[in-house]
Amino acid sequence: MIETFRLHQLLRETVSAPYRCLVTRPTGAAIRSRIEQALADSACTTALLDFAEVEVIDFSCADEVIAKLVLAQHSASGAFVVLQGLSEPQLEAVEHVLNHRHLAVAALCDRPGRPALLGCADADARTAFSAVCDEGAADPDTLATRSGWTRERAASALQTLASLRLARFLDGAFRPVPVP
Amino acid sequence: MTRIIEIPPSFDDRAFDQFAAMFGTWPPTERLLFDARGAQWASPYGLIAMLTAAQALTDAGAERPLFTAPLNEEVKRYWARTGFFRHAADFFEIHGRIPKAAEGPGDTLLDVTPIRAMDDVHKVVGDVPERAAKILQDQLNIRASETMRFSMALSEACQNIVEHSGTGGWVAVQAYTWRRRLGRRVVVIAVSDGGIGFRRSLEPAHAKRYGERWGDGAALEAGLIQNVSRFRDPGRGQGIASIKRSVDHWNGKISIRSGTARLAIVPAWDDDAPLAEHLPFFPGAQVQITIPAKDAPA
Repeated sequence: MIETFRLHQLLRETVSAPYRCLVTRPTGAAIRSRIEQALADSACTTALLDFAEVEVIDFSCADEVIAKLVLAQHSASGAFVVLQGLSEPQLEAVEHVLNHRHLAVAALCDRPGRPALLGCADADARTAFSAVCDEGAADPDTLATRSGWTRERAASALQTLASLRLARFLDGAFRPVPVP
Repeated sequence: MTRIIEIPPSFDDRAFDQFAAMFGTWPPTERLLFDARGAQWASPYGLIAMLTAAQALTDAGAERPLFTAPLNEEVKRYWARTGFFRHAADFFEIHGRIPKAAEGPGDTLLDVTPIRAMDDVHKVVGDVPERAAKILQDQLNIRASETMRFSMALSEACQNIVEHSGTGGWVAVQAYTWRRRLGRRVVVIAVSDGGIGFRRSLEPAHAKRYGERWGDGAALEAGLIQNVSRFRDPGRGQGIASIKRSVDHWNGKISIRSGTARLAIVPAWDDDAPLAEHLPFFPGAQVQITIPAKDAPA
């Protein structure tokens, strides 16, 4: 199940004025808190953060909303965090805060249903991510065959994906994070 | 006794040290008179420096300072249009006729605006994008899509006041032509507070590793170059880092003065010293971000 959080709407509920800019740490922390409360009562697999209609997101707010939410969901083995609706400059800000904290998320950018990897991941993890998203679930043997890697290399890349919560291990294979 | 603080005729970041030197020890024990009669021009940095000083005097419990307005009518009208007098009236006893504020001038991206709480940051960032896009594109040949980068830098600079100064502060943004220094249009973001400054903010967490080197200059180096923060959260310190990235992207300049030091990241087009120490003391922190026009596409 996918639960969608419209950041623009959460922002309007958090600050009294009708602004469309996700700025300041306290605002980010308040929005994250609302998302976390909703996730605590939800059985969803994916928390989809929708940035449509958000004009600006600054680094401080991106760190509070996205990086800290990803960290919290990692440590609780909670929902997978997926982003959508980010503009090019917003992508840059988000990527920066994720890199700074050595985190990564899946983001729906150009191609519908085909997530991109944002943040900190090595080349093998990025290749494995693309392979799993484009060609479907894979175990180490499958990925090794697809990519021409050794089994150990494929296993390591898939394990990295799982530890970054960019793929989920289910029924003996690494599968893409559920996205719309 | 009254101490005269003579406002430099052309009051910008370069004239600031001259302004700061006139206060003597801080906080001054005498009543102050800010004499702006001879003022011919002030940058956003100069305008908010005067308000910062007055606010810091209020915070220090000093007697309400006096202020004599510029004699030049055009200067006075311009300062009124930027909102300077509207806020000055709260902190100064003003002498001299003040014109009623008209609508803001076309080149003012953001009037002189107080920053006291995070809501003020929301308001500043929320109000600016449309005007910023037009001025960045029309006057600086910077794509309208850069507006978000501009808003982010403005947001992070203003947030630092609320998060780190221990008091309120001021922001103003304006476009004008730097004839002598650069020979082209610039947008200047000026942010200032009269609070605790970089050294006191960072001292508890970072002074030890600097040892005897610790001071205003080292604190600016820690904050601006090494991106450290007084908070232990590893995500902190990215605000200034993000501003630097944007300034670098625009081939711009960032300069921060705090206490007795000033540290700047100086582009090739400017001849400022990267680090100046042992300057006259001034409370808090004063930030100037300068974004120059790009060469027009052929």
